[in-house]
Amino acid sequence: MTYQNFLAPMAFALSLTVAGAASTQTLTMGVRGGPESIDPHFSALGPHAEAAKHIFDTLVWSGIDLQIEPGLATSWKPVDEDTWEFKLREGVKFHDGSDFNAEDVKFSIERIPVVTGPTTTAIYVRRVASVDIIDPHTIHIHTDGQAATLPNDFIRLFIVSSEAAADFSTLETASAGFNSGAAAIGTGPYKYVSWEPKGDLVLERFDGYWRGMGDWEKVIRKEIPNDSSRLAALKAGQVDVINYVSSVDYLALAKDTNIDSVKGDSVYIMNLQLDQRENTPLVRALDGSDLDENPFRDLRVRQAIDHAIDRETMVDIVLEGLGKPANQMMPPGFFGSSEKIPMPEYSPAKSKKLLADAGYSEGFEVDLYCTGDRLPGDAAICQGLGQMLTQVGIRTNVNAISKTVYFPAQARLDYSMFMNGWGTLTGEASYTLGGLAHSNNPEVKLGAYNRIEYENSDVDRLLQTGARMMDATARRATYEEAMEKVMEDKAYISIVQLQTVWGAKAGMLQFTPRFDEDTLAFFMKSAP
Amino acid sequence: MLGFIIQRFMQAVLVMAVMSVIVFCGVYAIGNPIDIVIPPEATQEIRMEAIRRLGLDRPLYEQYFIFISNLLHGDLGRSFVYNLPVLELIGGRLPATLELVLISVISATVLGVSLGIYAGYRPNSWLAKTIMAVSVLGFSVPSFWVGLILILVFAVNFGWLPAGGRGETVKILGVAWSFPTINGLSHIALPAINLALFKLALMIRLARAGTREIMLTDTIKFARAVGLSEGTILRRHLLKLISIPIITVFGLELGSTLAFAVVTETIFSWPGVGKLIIDSIGVLDRPVMVAYLILVAFLFVTINFVIDLVFALIDPRVRHGVVA
Repeated sequence: MTYQNFLAPMAFALSLTVAGAASTQTLTMGVRGGPESIDPHFSALGPHAEAAKHIFDTLVWSGIDLQIEPGLATSWKPVDEDTWEFKLREGVKFHDGSDFNAEDVKFSIERIPVVTGPTTTAIYVRRVASVDIIDPHTIHIHTDGQAATLPNDFIRLFIVSSEAAADFSTLETASAGFNSGAAAIGTGPYKYVSWEPKGDLVLERFDGYWRGMGDWEKVIRKEIPNDSSRLAALKAGQVDVINYVSSVDYLALAKDTNIDSVKGDSVYIMNLQLDQRENTPLVRALDGSDLDENPFRDLRVRQAIDHAIDRETMVDIVLEGLGKPANQMMPPGFFGSSEKIPMPEYSPAKSKKLLADAGYSEGFEVDLYCTGDRLPGDAAICQGLGQMLTQVGIRTNVNAISKTVYFPAQARLDYSMFMNGWGTLTGEASYTLGGLAHSNNPEVKLGAYNRIEYENSDVDRLLQTGARMMDATARRATYEEAMEKVMEDKAYISIVQLQTVWGAKAGMLQFTPRFDEDTLAFFMKSAP
Repeated sequence: MLGFIIQRFMQAVLVMAVMSVIVFCGVYAIGNPIDIVIPPEATQEIRMEAIRRLGLDRPLYEQYFIFISNLLHGDLGRSFVYNLPVLELIGGRLPATLELVLISVISATVLGVSLGIYAGYRPNSWLAKTIMAVSVLGFSVPSFWVGLILILVFAVNFGWLPAGGRGETVKILGVAWSFPTINGLSHIALPAINLALFKLALMIRLARAGTREIMLTDTIKFARAVGLSEGTILRRHLLKLISIPIITVFGLELGSTLAFAVVTETIFSWPGVGKLIIDSIGVLDRPVMVAYLILVAFLFVTINFVIDLVFALIDPRVRHGVVA
C-alpha cells in the first residue's frame, strides 16, 4: 500500500474522532458514599438514594430547595378524606423501551415493604393502605386516615418496571436481580452498566429520557470515602468532580486555579438537645455531688445556655466560614419555618444572671456528647460549645465520639446534653417537628426521635391538627406556630446551619448545589 | 503427623468459636445497628419492625444459637447493609487484597532480606550504614502519612502513577486479577510500596542481625576452610541458618497484612477486604464482622501451621523432633 492509500481512511478516521468527541464525553465523579444495592427500594440512606436517582425516577420530585415539584406524577390532589389522586406523566419510556404507566407505580408501592433492608424505605409508603388504578395514567391512593403530606413522602418513592422486576421482588432475589442488571430497568437519565459494592458505578446515557438528553455519554461514580484521597484524585485528574470537600481543604482550594469550588447551603442544622427528665444521669454539682433536680427543666437555665452560645464565632472561626447561624430547626424558607423567630442574642452577662436567678450562681457540671465523624465540623462545634458554656459557669466535659456508639446510646437515653445534626430532607416541618418535638407517642406515630422527653401539649395539639389539614396554607401557618413554640421552650437549641462544598476541574462544569447535598450527574452541565 | 494436624485443627475451631462469641457480645454491648442507619422519618413501629426483621429483638444467646446452626449448614449469613451473602461479599473483594498483599509482602521480603544480608555481611561499608538509617524511617513514619505523601508526589505532582483505585482486570480461573495488565500494575505500585515499607524495614533488620550472628560462628569458619566460595556460603549455609526467625515474621506479617491492610486500602481506595471490615464495624454490620473475623482466625492458624511445616522442611533438627 502506498502512502496515498492511507490518506483517505486516515482523514475519515480523524473526522470521526473530532465529530464524536462532543457526544462521547465521560463524567467521572468521586463521591464519598455509594449505594448498598442497585435496588432503589432497599435502603433509605442518602448516598443510596442519590445513586438511585441516576437510574430511576421518583413519583414526586424534590427540587433544589427541597420543595416538591412534578416528577413522574404531574399533579396530585386529595379527592376525599383518605384518598389522593395522582395524575401520571405521559410518554415516559423505560430503558428497555416499554411504557411507564400506573401498573408500575402500584407494583413499586407494593414491593417496598417486602424487599426493604434495615434502613427501611417502608417509611415512604407508611400511610398507604391500598392503591387503585383508575386508568393507565391515573391512580388513587387510599391512606390510613388523613395524610396531608403524602406527596412529600413520595419524593423518595422510586418507580421500577413491573415487568423487569416481577421475578426479583422477594428479600432473597431482589439485590441479586438488580445488581446483575436484569431488573435494573428504570426511567431515569442513565442506564445501568455495572456495579460492585463499594466499587465503581458505571452508567451510560439513556437517550429517551423525558427531561431530555444529559450532557454525558457515560458516567462513572467512584466511591472514595477518605476526604484526602478524594481530593487527591481530583487534583490528579482521575475524577472530574467531588463532593464533601472538607473545610480545611476548602481554604487551600480557593488558591488553586485548576479547581473550581462550589459552595451551597446544606439542609443540616446542628441542634443542642437538653434532657427534660426528672432525673438526668450526666449532670452534677461542681464538687461531684448530685443536684436536687435536673437544671435543664428550668426555662431560665435553658435560656442561659442559649445566650452563652456565640453563633457568629462558631461560623467564622470554628467552621471557617462554612455555615450560617441558625435560630430554628429548619433552614429559612422551608414549609413551616417561621420568620418571626428572632436570632438569639449572644450575651454571657445575661446567661450568668439567668443562672443566678435559677439558683445556680455557682454553676454546675455536665457531660456533653456529640458525633465526631458524621457531619463536617461536628466535633469542632462541640468543642466550641464546651468552651462557651464553661465561660458562663457550666463546666462542660466534651465527648465527640463515633456515630456507631453515639446513636445507640442516645436511643437508650444514656445522655443528658447532646448535639447532632438534623436534616429536614422532605422540606417540610412535619418531618422534623413530628419526629423531634412531639411527645414520644407510638399510638399516633409521632415523637419517635424525641430523646429528651420533651412535652408541650400545645405543640402536640398543633402537630396533630396540622397533620390532618389538607389545606396547605392553613397547615403552613399551624406548623409555623408550632415551630415558634418549640424554639421558645429552648429544649432544642439550634446553633448553626452547615454548608457543603463541591470541587470540580476548573471550567468544566456548571451546576447549582442542592440542599440535600445530592450530586446528580444529569443536572451537572458541561460549561460552555 | 496426623495427630499434629488434628491438634492444629481443633485449635483452629476453638479460636474461631471464641472469636465469634467475642464479636457477638461486643456488638451487643455497643447497641443496635438499626439506630445508626435508621432514617429519621421512621416511626416507632417501623423501627421495631426493622429490628424484628434482623432478628435483633431476641435474646443474645438465641441469636448466637441461630448463627451457629446456620453456620453448620454452611450459611454464614447475609450482610445487614448489602443483603448479599457474606461469603459472596468477602469473596468478591478478596482477590484485590490478595494480589496487593502478596506482591507487597513478597517484594518486601526478597528485597529486605537481600539488603539485610549485605548490611550484615559488610557492616562497615557506607551502603550498609545507609540501608540501616533508611530502615529506621520505615519503622517510624506512619503509613497513612506516607500513603498521602506518595499520592501527592507521584500522582498529583508528577502525574506518573494513578492516585487510587484498582486498574483493569483480566479473568484468570474465573477470578478478576489486575496484576497481569500494565494499567493494573500502575495502580498496584503506590499502595504496594506503602504496605511494603514497614515490612522492608523489619526484614532488613532481622536479616542483618541474623547474618552478623551467623557470620561469626564456627560453621562459616569451617566452610571457608573447606574452600567454598563466599557466594556458596551465603546461599547454602547462611540463608538457611537465618531463615527461621525470618519465616516466622513473614508468616505473621502476611496474615496481619492480608486481614488488616485497612489504612492503605482506605487511602488508596483499594477495593479490598480491609476496607470492608472497617466499614462494617462502623455500622455494626454484625454478620460481616463475625464471618470475616472467624475467617481471619482460621487464616492465622493455617499460616502458623504451614510455617511449622516449613520449619520441618528446612531444619533437620525440627523434622526429626516432630517425627519422634
